[in-house]
Amino acid sequence: MSHVLAIAGRELRSIFATPVAYVLIAVYMLFAGFVFFASLGMFLVQLEQIQALGMTNLLEQWNLQAIVVAQSFSTFAIFLAFVVPLLAMRAFAEERATGSIELLLTSPVTSTQIVLGKFLAIAALLALVTALTALYPLLLFAYGDPELWQTLAGLQTLLLYSLSLAALCCFISALTRSQIVAGLVGVAAALVLLLIPFAAESSQSETMKAVLRWLGTSTHYEAGLAGDVRSEDLAYFGLTILASLALARAAVDSLRWR
Amino acid sequence: MIKADALTKRYGGLTAIRGVSFEIAKSEVVGFLGPNGAGKTTTMRILTGYLPPSEGRAVVGGFDLAVEPNSAKRVTGYLPESPPLYPEMRVRDYVRYVATLHDVPRAERAEKVERALGSCGLDSVADRVIRTLSKGYRQRVGLAQAIVHEPAVLILDEPTSGLDPIQIVEIRELIRRLSAEEGRTVILSTHILAEVEAICQRVLLIAYGQLRVDARLDALREQGSLEQVFMREVEAAASRDARAAAEASAAAVAAIAEGQP
Repeated sequence: MSHVLAIAGRELRSIFATPVAYVLIAVYMLFAGFVFFASLGMFLVQLEQIQALGMTNLLEQWNLQAIVVAQSFSTFAIFLAFVVPLLAMRAFAEERATGSIELLLTSPVTSTQIVLGKFLAIAALLALVTALTALYPLLLFAYGDPELWQTLAGLQTLLLYSLSLAALCCFISALTRSQIVAGLVGVAAALVLLLIPFAAESSQSETMKAVLRWLGTSTHYEAGLAGDVRSEDLAYFGLTILASLALARAAVDSLRWR
Repeated sequence: MIKADALTKRYGGLTAIRGVSFEIAKSEVVGFLGPNGAGKTTTMRILTGYLPPSEGRAVVGGFDLAVEPNSAKRVTGYLPESPPLYPEMRVRDYVRYVATLHDVPRAERAEKVERALGSCGLDSVADRVIRTLSKGYRQRVGLAQAIVHEPAVLILDEPTSGLDPIQIVEIRELIRRLSAEEGRTVILSTHILAEVEAICQRVLLIAYGQLRVDARLDALREQGSLEQVFMREVEAAASRDARAAAEASAAAVAAIAEGQP
């Protein structure tokens, strides 16, 4: 365990030693803030129109939670498909490029410990990103009355989704010496996972449709972002993380057998 | 302390070393010589568990690297050709990190880190960021991380490269002290023949992937200067290698010719 923590601690400090993480997080927060307040502004305008037209039956479903929070979270998830791979791309690729991986591989440390250490560092970083994201809905609590548990469920889903992408990108990063390649392939993989459910719609066979839909990440975060935590979604993200870390471990093991 | 048993390493079609065997006893200082590309680094990487041999067996500190790699790594200190540094870290933090990875108990960590920093003359730069250090200091940081866990075996790949003459003398003095006073076994590769004469008791010479010389320095001196021995053996290995290649291609031609009626 001390190995895992040592590796994670070093990784985390080195993430913050370069401006990359700061810039990425700042850009993400900027876009997220823009989307959030744009959707809030839209909500208020539409609310006024509905009231002016006297469509009181619509007012029932016109709530802050579903329109502003859940929908901006959906957009954040798309931003994260770009941000998370760029944050995780350095994990192994950088150490392989500089040769410092030689230190890890000649130390009495197992491949599992190396992978867990790297993943733990990026997980801590993503927890921070999620906490920063929480600032936007938090502002709503100061002025309005959104649903607390549904908002928390949405944040938890964003975090789980980020963690699953991070685990996948750790694996991709262990396959190459180039951070850029790891980052680009990571973004591509994240986008493919987002888009798979759309391919499902045009599929002929019902089984294929169900499989493709299940594989897609958006299938599994939509309910959670709207505040509905489903065990099948938790299982999907948990499985993705475990499978990706197992693959990353195999990739690190293969570095020992060149 | 170190046992290499018929080590062979192939990278695809290229054979880097072929049947290299030697044994090194406790507290010996052995110089590992050979022209560039002869297989010195490959052999050292096998001994440190960074690369597995294609054939053969490596035992370090009584632990077979194929069976108990982590036990062997715990008793080994390794300075690769280019020190595996993290440029954004401070010197002391970096050495402490390596101590943690090598299972130095928490209670002893601070003391051992300071001792390693002191031994390598790094006290004055302990709080500097590694990126800002000169090449000589970086090399010394690499050496400090190799000795911080007080390993029984030290494997140093060109430990004095990039150092100025004063630093070279200091590092040689440190290596001599590590073996004479603390009983550590050292294997170091170098291109500087005078360095071998200054600190080693024994010489291993590798050329074209094969071990050509394994002798005590005083025995070698009777055959002439180290430089003469080096030139002679490398040339002999070169001609043998050329002959082997020629024979192999002749055999291949013969095999093809035989295959045709």
